[in-house]
Amino acid sequence: MDFHVNVVQGGEGQNESEYRLVIAGGGPAALSAAIYAARYGISHVVLESWKPGGQAALTAEIENYPGFSRVSGADLTDAMKKQALEAGAVFRMETVETASEKNGRILVKTDSGEYYSDFLIIATGAAPATLGVPGEEEYYGRGVSFCATCDAPFFKNKRVIVVGGGDSAVKEALHLTQVVAELGLVHRRDQLRAEPYLAEKLISNKKVTTYWNSRLLEITGDGQGVTGAVIDTPEGQKNLETDGIFLYVGTKPASEPFETLVELDSQGAVVTRGIVGTSNPAVFAAGDVTNNGFRQVVTAVSDGARASAAVFDLIQHSER
Amino acid sequence: MAMRQIPGNKIAEETKDFHKMTLVDFSATWCGPCKMLHPVLESLSGELGDRINFLTVDIDQNPSEANQFGVRGVPTMIIFYAGKEIERMVGFRDKSSLKKDLEALAVRTLG
Repeated sequence: MDFHVNVVQGGEGQNESEYRLVIAGGGPAALSAAIYAARYGISHVVLESWKPGGQAALTAEIENYPGFSRVSGADLTDAMKKQALEAGAVFRMETVETASEKNGRILVKTDSGEYYSDFLIIATGAAPATLGVPGEEEYYGRGVSFCATCDAPFFKNKRVIVVGGGDSAVKEALHLTQVVAELGLVHRRDQLRAEPYLAEKLISNKKVTTYWNSRLLEITGDGQGVTGAVIDTPEGQKNLETDGIFLYVGTKPASEPFETLVELDSQGAVVTRGIVGTSNPAVFAAGDVTNNGFRQVVTAVSDGARASAAVFDLIQHSER
Repeated sequence: MAMRQIPGNKIAEETKDFHKMTLVDFSATWCGPCKMLHPVLESLSGELGDRINFLTVDIDQNPSEANQFGVRGVPTMIIFYAGKEIERMVGFRDKSSLKKDLEALAVRTLG
C-alpha cells in the first residue's frame, strides 16, 4: 500500500479546528479509535454526531463481548466513552455533512463548523434498512419499529411479528419474548443466520411461530396503528393479525458524507484494503460502515484500534 | 428557553399557543434513543425557542396520555399549533436534520 501522505507538522498550538486526526462516529469503533488515539498522544477530535454509542447502544443485551457474559449495549458503550474520556479523548457532538481534500489536507464540514486534519477515521456505523413495503412508513411509530429495546413495553401481552434472521433480529426477538403474548418470525430463508445458540433459544420458545421462506408484503392498519400483516409464504399469501412489526432486514452504511473521498461498494459500504485502509491513504475506516462483513461490537473495536495504530505509524514514519 | 418536563394532564393547556408551535417529546427513562435525543432538544430549545416551545412527557408516569395521543414507540415528538397536532416524528433525529425540518415547519405554520 502506498503511504505517501502530506503530513503537516505539529499538533500543538494549532487552531482549535485543526487536528492530526478526525474520528467521525460515536459507536464502539469510534470509541476504540478514540481510546487508542488519546493514548498514542495524537492530536484528535471525535465528531460523535449527537448519537453517542451508535447502534450498539440500542442493543438490549450483548452476550458475546469477551469479559462480559451479559451486558446492555448502552452500559457497554457508556463504559467505553468513560474510558476514552479518562484517556484524554476529545468529543464534540456534531454531525459530519461532507468530507473532502483541500490543499493536501482533509476538510471535514459539520453542522456547526469546519475541521482540517491530516488523517480521518470513518467510523460512522450503519442505520437500519427499510423494506419499502406499503404501510411501513405510514405506521412507523404506530406499531412499526426498528428498536425492540425502545418499544417492547408498548407490546406487553400483545402479538408482534419480527422480520429478519440475523443476529440483530434474533437478539431483539428474544428480548420481545419476555413481554409479548405471541411472536411471529418471518424470514426469507429456511434457517436463521444468527448464532446457533441464540437461534435455538428463540425457535424453542413456546411463544414463537416461524414462517420460513417467507416475505413481508404489506403492513395493514386502522389509521391509528398496525393491525395486521400480509406475508408471502410457500403455501401462498397469509393475512396475520398483529399489533406490532419489528424490522431487522439489514443495515445501510452511514457513508454519504465520504462518497467523494473514498471508494464505496454498491451497498454504500467503505471498501477496505488491509482491514482498515481505504482507497485514500490518509483515510481509514472501522466498524459497520465498512464492507468487512462481520458486524459485531468486538470486530468494531478491533477495527478502531487498528485504524488509530495505522495513523500513529504514519505520523512516526513522517517524522523520522 | 430551556425544555420543560410537564405532567400529561397539562398537554392540552400547554399546546394551545397560537403565537408559537409546541413540540412535545414523549420519552422514557429506559429508552436509549430518548437519552440521545434529549441534548439535541435542549440545544434546539436555545436556538429555536422564539418560535417553538419544547416540552417533555415521561410515558411511564403518564401512560393514559401516551395512549390517548397514539404513542406506540419512543421517542415520539408531536408538534402542536393552536391546540392541534400538525406533525409527528418518531425515533432519534440528529440535530441538523431535525433543525431543518422544524424551521421549515415554522415557516409554513407561523409565516
